[in-house]
Amino acid sequence: MSPASIPDIADKPTETTYQSIVEHAIEGIFQTTPDGRYLLANPALAEIYGYESVEELKGGVKEIARQLYVDPARREEFIRLMNQQDAVWGFESPIYRKDGSVIWISENVRVIRAGDQSVRYYEGTVEDITERKRVEEELRRAKTAAEEASRSKSQFLANMSHELRTPLNAIIGYSELMREEAEDLDQQSFVRDLKKIESAGKHLLELINGVLDIAKIEAGKMETHAETFDVEAMLNDVAATIAPVVEKNGNRFEIVAEPALGSMHTDLTKVRQSLFNLLGNAGKFTENGVIRLEAHRVSQNGSEFILFQVSDTGVGMSPEQCAKIFEAFTQADASTTRKFGGTGLGLAITREFSRIVGGDITVTSELGKGSTFSMRAPVTLPGTATAEPAEVRFADDPQSELSGDRPLVLLIDDDLTVHDLVRRFLHKEGFRTVCAPSGQEGLELAKTLQPSVIVLDVMMPTMDGWSVLTRVKGDPALANIPVVMLTMVDNKEMGFSLGVDDYMLKPIERGSFVSTLRKYGSPNASTSVLVLEDDATTRELLRTSLEKDGISVVEATNGAEGLRKLATIRPALILLDLMMPEMDGFQFTREVRSRPEWRDIPIIVMTAKDIAADDRTRLDGHVSRILQKGACGREELLAEISSRIARATRPTRAETELQPALAS
Amino acid sequence: MKKLLLVEDNEMNRDMLSRRLARRGYEILVATDGSEGLAEATRHLPDLIIMDMSLPVLDGWESTRALKEQPATRSIPVLALTAHAMAGERERALEAGCNDYDTKPVDFTRLLGKIETLLSGSSA
Repeated sequence: MSPASIPDIADKPTETTYQSIVEHAIEGIFQTTPDGRYLLANPALAEIYGYESVEELKGGVKEIARQLYVDPARREEFIRLMNQQDAVWGFESPIYRKDGSVIWISENVRVIRAGDQSVRYYEGTVEDITERKRVEEELRRAKTAAEEASRSKSQFLANMSHELRTPLNAIIGYSELMREEAEDLDQQSFVRDLKKIESAGKHLLELINGVLDIAKIEAGKMETHAETFDVEAMLNDVAATIAPVVEKNGNRFEIVAEPALGSMHTDLTKVRQSLFNLLGNAGKFTENGVIRLEAHRVSQNGSEFILFQVSDTGVGMSPEQCAKIFEAFTQADASTTRKFGGTGLGLAITREFSRIVGGDITVTSELGKGSTFSMRAPVTLPGTATAEPAEVRFADDPQSELSGDRPLVLLIDDDLTVHDLVRRFLHKEGFRTVCAPSGQEGLELAKTLQPSVIVLDVMMPTMDGWSVLTRVKGDPALANIPVVMLTMVDNKEMGFSLGVDDYMLKPIERGSFVSTLRKYGSPNASTSVLVLEDDATTRELLRTSLEKDGISVVEATNGAEGLRKLATIRPALILLDLMMPEMDGFQFTREVRSRPEWRDIPIIVMTAKDIAADDRTRLDGHVSRILQKGACGREELLAEISSRIARATRPTRAETELQPALAS
Repeated sequence: MKKLLLVEDNEMNRDMLSRRLARRGYEILVATDGSEGLAEATRHLPDLIIMDMSLPVLDGWESTRALKEQPATRSIPVLALTAHAMAGERERALEAGCNDYDTKPVDFTRLLGKIETLLSGSSA
């Protein structure tokens, strides 16, 4: 290029110059209409999309949304963004090339508007980013595989530890038994040796338990159970149990508990175990000294914590030793194990426990002077305030899940705890659930059962969720079944490009999960009953009785929850308890009757209360029947419900006239 | 003499536990699976049943449910034993109708305490 030619072009670019840039650009350049046709395209774009020429591309693609985008919704998203901000950068989507192969592109586009602000066309550039996506995907897979391998290792350890405990159980048990018998027979030399076997067995058991705990923590299997307890009572209990160990080496044991410690709502076992570990250690590494247990209630950033401190006047540690003291299998130095015994797991477990309950642990120490361990634990276990009470009952008979007319959900997930969890709460929401632990089994079940919806995990061994999804969508016998992904893998784009109907991330958020599933299968309205009752036993009893009669049950524990359920399903009948927390039966009835769409759902009131005349007046005209609990037998209640449902499925004029509009 | 029924499929555990409990002055009946346990319980009406949960034929949860459904055996306390020291096991056992729960490997002193508590509770 001659130096003279450059200013020429810059000064006065000609039509030819522009054309040359467009013709020879490496990136695809285009102008498209809002309805998805090409006004302009360059050869690079045709090549990216696999067409012979620009003419072939422009002639062949008349509807960009459907012909190019793997997921037609991407084009809608594109237009939405355009309307919002007039331009997009790095808009990434999978698209079909002419030969049907899929590549990833990235688009930079702006909108060109007419004088009246209406969109004339879009113009921008396209880059093929398939290779970059492939590398990203490989990295992601490698990371997932590595995490999976680590989990498998921990799972193996957990299983192995469990297998080891069974024979060990026999070794410890028989040595204890023989020792007792030898004592009876006054065989002292046997007693001594048997005690050694017993004590070695117990030490081995302690090690295995430690490994099991660590493995469970690493495999993410360590669960928490929050309970409310008085902190001072817990401290006294811990101190009484551990005192013999702490005082063994001639140590003095002091307890300093602040007067107003109050109570905690957290995992008692883990807090206790942590204190046992800290105090046991302090006792082990201190001779003729003082061991002190302190507890204070502290506020930090608006949260309440209990600060537990265990200090000793023992051997202490150097800064180097302190730095690795919480690592598994690391004691201050290797000779420690020989001199003091122990598993080297206690502090690692203690730190994990304190983190599991939402706190942490630190140490300060000086060689020869002693150590102080400070453990902080929130007064309330994080996440428990809003947690729903554990529901332990679910369909006992898996066969019952195969028949009936409630919508059927097929769950494909290799994690069995998810099976259990999903089955339990979907049962309460009026669904039947069948679970498959692998992709192959899931596909078989899908063919034979034809479920209303498939819920699918991504990461599964042998056949992953993406492969299952591809096969479902590629099999004409299955392609119509909606698929909802339920996974920890956040890759919605992949999911939607492969045709999933909804994409939900774990951990499962119950409300949105259930309302998503309702889109694909609502419990059969004609035979379902909404039960509002705060007492779990009564609710369970009603459910069992009604389900025997082929009536599906949706439960709510108070009026507010009942209204939320009504928004997602229209039952044939409402069974209503009057006395409920949050929103009682009276208010619930008023709310239901004030909504035209719910006005004609019959309500049967069940009440333990001997209903007062003015309460009866408040309900008169708004409910179909008032039954007194106890006074009315189960048969009578069921007969009443069945006849109401029969009438509700063929509504007559007379029935609707029984439900006058709410006056107030 | 109080009569205890031990339902346990592992031969060593069954032998060891039954001998140790017998040394403490209990009369011991044994069964090796859930269905045998159910039959023995119905025939002999023991004062307490110690039930392993992972059992062949009929597992401990099913057996306990069946025991709690029969009027004759309903009031016999059931102490669940399980090798899985996993969270949620306690709830599962109690849900099936067990009156208490302990984990394996058995801490004999602790187990004795639980047995005594259940026995005194049922006679009160």
